[in-house]
Amino acid sequence: MIEEMEPAPKGTEYDFYFGPAHPGSGNFGVKLKIDGEIVVSARADPGYLHRGFEKLMEYRTPIQNAVLSDRLCILEPLNWNLVHAEAVDELMGIEVPERAKYIRVIMAELSRIQSHIIWYGVFSKGTGFDTGFKMAFGYRDYILDLFELITGGRVYPAGYICPGGVRRDFPDNAKMKILKVLDKMNKMIKLGELENPAMDARSKDVGVLKLKDAIRLGVTGPVLRGSGMNVDVRKEEPYEVYDRLDFEVPVRKKGDAYARYCIGIEEMKQSVKIVKQALEDLPDGDVIETSLKKPKLSYKIPEGEVYVRNEIARGEAAIYMVSNGNSTPYRVKVRGPDFLHMIPVLEHLLKGVQIADVPAVYWSLNICPADMDR
Amino acid sequence: MVKRSEKAKTMRKLIKAIWIFNWFNSCGFAELVPLVGSRWDMERFGMIIVGTPRHADVLFIAGYQTHKSIERAKRIYEQMAEPRVVIALGSCTMTGGMYWDSYNTIKKLDDYLPVTMYIPGCPPRPEAVFEACEKIFEHVKELE
Amino acid sequence: MTKKEPNLLDEINSKFKTDGRIQREHRIWVSINVNKLIEICRWLKEKGFTHLSSISVTDWLEKGEYELTYHLWSYDNKMLVTVKTRINRNKPIVESVSPIWGESAQIHERELHELFGVKFKGNKDLLPLFLENWQGSAPFRKDFDWRDYVREEFYDKKNEREKVYYD
Repeated sequence: MIEEMEPAPKGTEYDFYFGPAHPGSGNFGVKLKIDGEIVVSARADPGYLHRGFEKLMEYRTPIQNAVLSDRLCILEPLNWNLVHAEAVDELMGIEVPERAKYIRVIMAELSRIQSHIIWYGVFSKGTGFDTGFKMAFGYRDYILDLFELITGGRVYPAGYICPGGVRRDFPDNAKMKILKVLDKMNKMIKLGELENPAMDARSKDVGVLKLKDAIRLGVTGPVLRGSGMNVDVRKEEPYEVYDRLDFEVPVRKKGDAYARYCIGIEEMKQSVKIVKQALEDLPDGDVIETSLKKPKLSYKIPEGEVYVRNEIARGEAAIYMVSNGNSTPYRVKVRGPDFLHMIPVLEHLLKGVQIADVPAVYWSLNICPADMDR
Repeated sequence: MVKRSEKAKTMRKLIKAIWIFNWFNSCGFAELVPLVGSRWDMERFGMIIVGTPRHADVLFIAGYQTHKSIERAKRIYEQMAEPRVVIALGSCTMTGGMYWDSYNTIKKLDDYLPVTMYIPGCPPRPEAVFEACEKIFEHVKELE
Repeated sequence: MTKKEPNLLDEINSKFKTDGRIQREHRIWVSINVNKLIEICRWLKEKGFTHLSSISVTDWLEKGEYELTYHLWSYDNKMLVTVKTRINRNKPIVESVSPIWGESAQIHERELHELFGVKFKGNKDLLPLFLENWQGSAPFRKDFDWRDYVREEFYDKKNEREKVYYD
């Protein structure tokens, strides 16, 4: 039963539904109360994609969970794969071989570039630059072809990063192809740095998020860096081999939609740098821990609990896993960055903007509805 | 001379190019939006994305649906003008798929909306979507 | 392991009489009684733990308890402290931490209220979040088996088609 909108009580006030079946909104709706042209208040409407992920993982063994964990957020599957694999590795006390760590970092950074390209595409569509949308999705296909060569799937890599390492080694021509794709990515970055007067006018000074509000609302990732704070989980508590690689973390002070957009383009540049360094330093050796080389269908997870934090393209992702000695986990809690970006932050930022600015604010937060609903 | 029924004549006049309504749900976003991009350009076949169901011929249900979103999909379906087609993408619409034991997803789309064509895969490739649209044209040609 | 973890753990243990442990670098785990929860949260916030990473509930069915875990991160000290408490499973009521951490705590508690049935006293917004017209009990509890429910509701039932579309 869908609730009907209220009739307008008087004059210029009315209810407006920026809803799920909208070309500019994704699977998520926001109920706005508008007076004339200015938004008075907003109320988020989540739940269109709720599957109950956390309890689904309790019925499945770690190998099955590795395949399920790519579907946590469709737009960056390899990054979520990595978070889950690290949680199981730490619970079981597995030591991952060096070559596997470098491969994990390469795949995670390629997935971050691919996710930022989507961000650029939908942000330009939301502010009126339709050509940018079509070109961005054209460039993204180069990375998807790379994923198909290495892991077997264009969008979902079928649990490539699994507990113990990665499933199979790079094929022989992978290194040359990755370097060619990185050249194309430089062209994409040049497209992103173009000065487009319409996009600039629609995103400068729109949706300003101050630092004090950001910390109180629980914001992480590029949105927090756009408001002036220099934090990144890869520098605070480095995981895999990030402490041996040399990269910068872009920060802007202004906090508006344009600042967040600029950070997205800068992060793509830094990711290209990381992949090049990791490819040069790639050592030889095994890609999976020796006791798990012959795949076992189920193994017992020792008792304990862990909390693992990673930096995915949208912010800070974390998994809290509790095990009581069986072959399936007892409780898995998934913390995604979009849960906080889409409900408290959006309701806070949409107060007082004009209707025409709503897409620019909405897409500059880089949301993924699947991550919020789980 | 083959005598065609009235229905076949009207269908041949109306279905020449397919206009799709933009209801990219869940997994469909990652595999249907590249169709709009510059590599698998779908405008060369006459297919474009429209923003309102009144202009659309085809409703793509791409991926799993929950109880909340199937109500909205039904309401959209009722607003489309005839002739209209529903294409279901992915294995979650056929049997429940990867989330078969979830309490909130629906298991068989056929119980809620009349589906014309299923495209299997998790997710299906863009070439499969083009082949499905081609089958619609063939089906209309063979109608008698 | 740096010097900071043992110092902080000693301070917490002596002030609140707990028996915490250091799991590895950047991780401290502390269990506490539920009536001291708000006190330790306020003290930790003043020590610099301004980021509430998440709140979670674990359902221990045999013992009849819910275990609440609060994961707090400090940007200055680069450390994660997890505070765990236990409450009764049949009447789960606990004080809310939203006066301390604001909206980020409020939204986490709203989700746990819907999925586990925990009442948070002092939280102003506990309306349903994900589910619409859900009549049954809290879905994530351990005594609600999803596979039995799905077999009964969807796979074994003869579902009727929406007649209005097929005529």
